[in-house]
Amino acid sequence: MLGDIVGKKLKKDLSTAINKPREWRAEVEYTIEGIQRGIIDPKDVAKTALSTLAVFAFVFVLLLPVYWILLIALQGEGATLYSTDSAGLIPTQINFEAFIWVIGDIAIPAKIVGISIPFLGEFFLSWPRIVFFDSSPYVDSTSNFPRYFVNSMVVGFFTVVIALSVVIPASYALSRRQFAGRMKLLYGYILFTQVGGGLGIAGLIALYTIFVSFGVANNRLVLAVYYAALAVPFNTWLLKTYMDSIPVSYEEAAIMDGASPFRVAWEVVLPLAKPGLATILIFIFLTGWMEFIVAQLVLRPENYTLPVGLFMLVDTYSVPWGQFSAFALVYASPIVFVYLFAQRYIEAGLSFGGVEG
Amino acid sequence: MSLSSAESRKRYEELLPGRVNEWMERNGAGLLVLPGLLLFSIFMFFPLAYTFYLSLTNAQPTNVFAGDGLRGDEQFVFTEVLGLQLPIANYVEVLSDPAFWNSIGVTWLFVVASVGLKVAFGIALAMVLTSDRIRGKRYLRSVVIIPWALPPIFTITIWSGVFSSARFGLANQFLIWLGFTPQAFFTDRWLAFTTYLITEMWLAYPFMVIITVSALQAVPEELIDAAKVDGAGYFSRFRAVTAPAIKRPVMFAGILTAAASFQQFLIPYVFNRGGPGRDNELIILYGYREAFNFNQYGAGAAIMLTAVLFIAMFMLVAVWKGELAEGVNN
Repeated sequence: MLGDIVGKKLKKDLSTAINKPREWRAEVEYTIEGIQRGIIDPKDVAKTALSTLAVFAFVFVLLLPVYWILLIALQGEGATLYSTDSAGLIPTQINFEAFIWVIGDIAIPAKIVGISIPFLGEFFLSWPRIVFFDSSPYVDSTSNFPRYFVNSMVVGFFTVVIALSVVIPASYALSRRQFAGRMKLLYGYILFTQVGGGLGIAGLIALYTIFVSFGVANNRLVLAVYYAALAVPFNTWLLKTYMDSIPVSYEEAAIMDGASPFRVAWEVVLPLAKPGLATILIFIFLTGWMEFIVAQLVLRPENYTLPVGLFMLVDTYSVPWGQFSAFALVYASPIVFVYLFAQRYIEAGLSFGGVEG
Repeated sequence: MSLSSAESRKRYEELLPGRVNEWMERNGAGLLVLPGLLLFSIFMFFPLAYTFYLSLTNAQPTNVFAGDGLRGDEQFVFTEVLGLQLPIANYVEVLSDPAFWNSIGVTWLFVVASVGLKVAFGIALAMVLTSDRIRGKRYLRSVVIIPWALPPIFTITIWSGVFSSARFGLANQFLIWLGFTPQAFFTDRWLAFTTYLITEMWLAYPFMVIITVSALQAVPEELIDAAKVDGAGYFSRFRAVTAPAIKRPVMFAGILTAAASFQQFLIPYVFNRGGPGRDNELIILYGYREAFNFNQYGAGAAIMLTAVLFIAMFMLVAVWKGELAEGVNN
């Protein structure tokens, strides 16, 4: 479902991006011709070209820290630690040691699986460690990234499952049904998307005390439930807004054919809401992927999620910068792609007056 | 005598007043929102209420984790106010602590300075990105909002590397290139504060840019053309046409971003734990450290709630003033 939608949109975006240079060339040709024929003032063209150049340069400087991190990561493990001139703007040597350190071996661990079949007895299935990529020729040690990654995925998976199971019915009810306090709840949710984070931090001491008192600190599942709760207001509102845009005529047709309310919701509204579901799925997953403060407070090292792992790297001064940078980039890159892709939807969602009936 | 289930059901329905049935019919869909609302409330409002309780007690790890469940050995701490024994000793202690007022002062300074920077920079960048002179605006806009997409912990750890006191830190390389001596940014109070401001601006300008760009695109082209025809220069055009048109969304975004600045925790925490010493602890970090570094859970809770009160008051005043300004304009 998700892959299908993303694939289609991605293809469209790519074709636009590929066609853009051709448009630019056409524009340049038109401009040159215009100057030759004396229709376009060359001074005007120079002004545009210069200011465009200046703005591009400025934006480059603005994003320099990200580029700098990329450079450091590409220079391997030790290059940047002691030398002062290593961060020139153009990489002199490129190696992927730091990235290999982050990812480590790519392999399926050895395992023995017992299968018991009634009346026939128990069978054991075992396989050796299957290695697709061995990092040992390149680096001496590897990072904890894979373990943190697994923790983050476990937390993210449960967050998504729990949050979706409460968000979907709620947004359906908010979008299609009337009940007492509906608008109040909607306004409350929107308000909390803005100030909820602050209230969350204010309750941090109590939250920690509660978790420890009930013996559920350092528990990935409980952390996932907490993230799911945090994700409720924004995502309920988002999915409700999406469902509002689905015409009710489909449902009317289904009702005329005698479908029960449940079937209308399950077989008509939900399939039509797929893009909205995909969007909130990503947002909910990212809640846990990005959250740091609560995670670092309650989790112990064996259960660290990626943000905590990243912070621990920068907090232990012995870790070389190349390794830290590579770790940070591998952690953040999926999110950047998601955002660049989803950007126009986010911008559209941020336009004002999003609350209607 | 036994009742069949149909009979008992009938009796049950007779017992229920018609109004209840009717209400269920009309509002039954509300049950669908309850699980989410409950989940959210448990993790949002219950901790807040428990924070209030803790703020009245002498809670510390040694007593609060004793015993089973939530009821530990913590005791209310009383103080006498107007002849009454009230459990507000933590609040009295916190409010009479100069360190608290230092934290509040630094926090407000941070809010005012960073919001000013964010708004000014956001508007300037948005003006540039909507200017007719620039080509490739859509691509620039996608790239410019990248800092917003990055996880805060990622950007903030990177910026702590930029300002690293070592010579290879980006900021120090820049200083050396300009011919200055490298600085230890995190050990000087105001230098550290400046690094917070720069980082906060970098984190939050994309939000301002997005809002301002969409506001600028809504400014009617004819108005600007008319002003041009009337011979208005660039700045008078901005003052008379553009500024009034974008004022409301920009103010709205400014209020939101001010609330975010007030709650800034990660930047000082990652950079230098609000140091040097405890000079730069923004209010949330101050409460956090009071609880988790100095084990004063009760006082920490009192600080957190006082901070929430400050934010709430600020939001109320901002919204009220904002609408007042709008009323004057209309």
